Amino acid sequence: MKYFPLVLAGLWRKPARTIFTFLSITVAFILFGILAAIDGGIAHQLDAARLDRLIVDTKFGAQLPLAYLDRIAQLPGVTVVAPRQILVGYYQDPKVPFGIIMTDRRFFGVRPELNATKDQIDTLLHTRTGALITVYSAKRFGWKVGDKVPVISNTIQRDGSHTWTFDIVGIIDDMDRPGKARYFIGNYDYMDQERTSDKGTVDRILVRIKDPGRATQTGRAIDALFANSAAPTRTGSERSDRAAGGPSALGDVAFFTRAVVSAVLFMLLFLTGNTMMQSVRERIPEFAVLKTLGYSDRGVLALVIAEALVLCAMAAGAGLAVAKIGVPLIAEASPDWGLWLLMPWSAAATGLAFALLVALVSALLPALKAKRLSIIEALRP
Amino acid sequence: MKEILAVTWMSLRTIPARWGSSLVVVVGMACAVGALVSILSMSAGFLRTMANTGSPSRAIIMSDGALGEWGSTIDHGEATILADMPGVAEDGAHKPIVSAEYFAYTIVSKKSDGQDTGVGVRGVSLEDPLLRPEVKLIDGRWFRPGTYEIVVGKGAQEQFEGLKVGDRIALPSGDWLVTGTFQSNGGANESELITDASTLLSAMRSSAYKSMTVRLSSPAAFTQFKNAITSRPGPALQIDRESDYYAEQSKSFDQYLRTIAYVVGGIMGLGATFGALNTMYSAIAARAREIATLRAIGFGGAAVMISVISETLLFCLIGAGLGVGFAWALFNGYQHAMAGLVIRLAVTPALALTGIGFALALGAIGGLFPAARAARMPIVDALRAV
Repeated sequence: MKYFPLVLAGLWRKPARTIFTFLSITVAFILFGILAAIDGGIAHQLDAARLDRLIVDTKFGAQLPLAYLDRIAQLPGVTVVAPRQILVGYYQDPKVPFGIIMTDRRFFGVRPELNATKDQIDTLLHTRTGALITVYSAKRFGWKVGDKVPVISNTIQRDGSHTWTFDIVGIIDDMDRPGKARYFIGNYDYMDQERTSDKGTVDRILVRIKDPGRATQTGRAIDALFANSAAPTRTGSERSDRAAGGPSALGDVAFFTRAVVSAVLFMLLFLTGNTMMQSVRERIPEFAVLKTLGYSDRGVLALVIAEALVLCAMAAGAGLAVAKIGVPLIAEASPDWGLWLLMPWSAAATGLAFALLVALVSALLPALKAKRLSIIEALRP
Repeated sequence: MKEILAVTWMSLRTIPARWGSSLVVVVGMACAVGALVSILSMSAGFLRTMANTGSPSRAIIMSDGALGEWGSTIDHGEATILADMPGVAEDGAHKPIVSAEYFAYTIVSKKSDGQDTGVGVRGVSLEDPLLRPEVKLIDGRWFRPGTYEIVVGKGAQEQFEGLKVGDRIALPSGDWLVTGTFQSNGGANESELITDASTLLSAMRSSAYKSMTVRLSSPAAFTQFKNAITSRPGPALQIDRESDYYAEQSKSFDQYLRTIAYVVGGIMGLGATFGALNTMYSAIAARAREIATLRAIGFGGAAVMISVISETLLFCLIGAGLGVGFAWALFNGYQHAMAGLVIRLAVTPALALTGIGFALALGAIGGLFPAARAARMPIVDALRAV
């Protein structure tokens, strides 16, 4: 520890150079943090998926008849079956479309993480145009209980209108991610009576099962029921449903992040390597003096490496801290992608490890140079 | 001018003496430009695919408000009426060149990572070469209407498992035989499977089409065609020129890709700029004596300043060239499945220019401050240090 001031003095010899190198490393690790947050967000979403839920989708694109629900409910181990039909629309701003889940009471049985009270659910079902929204949605659009909300949708109603009116009857939240979930839940019957096509069908069926260990068998049993019908199904876990959505839909996210991170680290290797090399070259007489004073060759080597380690660790720490603080802000600002951004502490640790690795590799040559230098040669004017 | 050239040439000749630190600028810019151009090559490939799909001499008709073919319905009667609208091109036998289409999908697995993904299945009314002349069979034979046969787009075949000629694909009402492979000028159709619409409709037990595509008698006939449909009695429809439709469809996704490219490239570029500042400050510090001598014998500050900036720009240019070259070698023509499409990444000349412009803009910033310092360097002090 007593050598720490010496390390700092070495770094601060040319403040401008150190600051620029510091900033380069900081910026690179901000990028590292953001990319790690994308990976972390995906991993978090997958881990948070409930294992006792199955998702029944159409296999070839045909809508699923409502009659499927009763047939699935009769399978052993199935506890709740809920219909879901998404109504896509927007409120005032066409650039901000969202999906409204048109369903019935059973939806709340499949999603026990929603804290809707029995009264709220009853009110929803008794109000044809009723809607329950989450705290987040209420805040985002500035709605409160009692509001009448016109939603413009591409789905046409019987009278040719595109405007679906909803009455907000209650505000609920998702206890798995309080304050963040974006639910807008309406009555399936309202939509089915008003729409002109696809009547009596849904785009997805949600199933809750007793034993998560039998998820695969139950999924197969469901698909077997409808294999020879006009609308065969494809049943999957909530986890695989989430894995297919979000950023993964764009392609190979893992490959992308790895490629960018490698490029960034490669760039840093040159940057810090150059800084250390320049710094050592300028200070050759100083190292010679240190050696004359009795510092060992190894001591000088350690000194140079310590400088690089301190520089990289502090700069990377700053960058990772900015990312750690900034990522939730980005997530807040972009609700569509916010769910998929989460920077875990383990990513910060990985980042620091990378920073130390970069420091070691880039300082190695300059440090060896300092170690090997001969006092006589270096001090000769 | 001569003065500037002389000073610049002189400073360039001293570069070999400081190779190491110059390399930092080159490598930094190469990485930043490489990342930027690689990600933008997705956008360029995507736009090219979409542009190759839509033709100005075709129109696509969907139900009013539909966001895409998926949410649209057009029934049989409507399809017959639409085929007879003015503005539709006719073949030699005076039959309208139209196709009422159905759209389904099936699940296949990607060859690259085994992940399941959906692939579109398009039912066409007419395998008429006059409607989409760019669709050409390159292997096997066309499907026979009325049988469970299907042809596969080249892109889909290359990216997904189980789509070779002779394979059987799970579709409603049993397995369908792949009888051929087609290409389509690199358009989005190459990511799809094509079969006969009526056969697909009956297999899906559906009674209505999803959309209708017609060939216009000329690109200019679009207005006539659209007006004729709008003024007819019946449900409102949405009529788009096919090229406009695909351009509109690609907008938001392309915007998204570009945002990622500029965020990632921009952050890396910022890091590289700090590296450039560092290098150039130390370069002028190393050459302080030389610069002071030049100033003392009468060279102007501006000449010195320009020489420092041009040196930075030169490094950035080399870096950008390397970055674009790497992106080109690694990704140009690379096939990639995303957002339900198979695209070929494209490092176009326009992208190369974007990358170079990006590097030069950053280089100008990274060179300006050191250059200003070099120009303002007090001559006497610098010479006294000797």
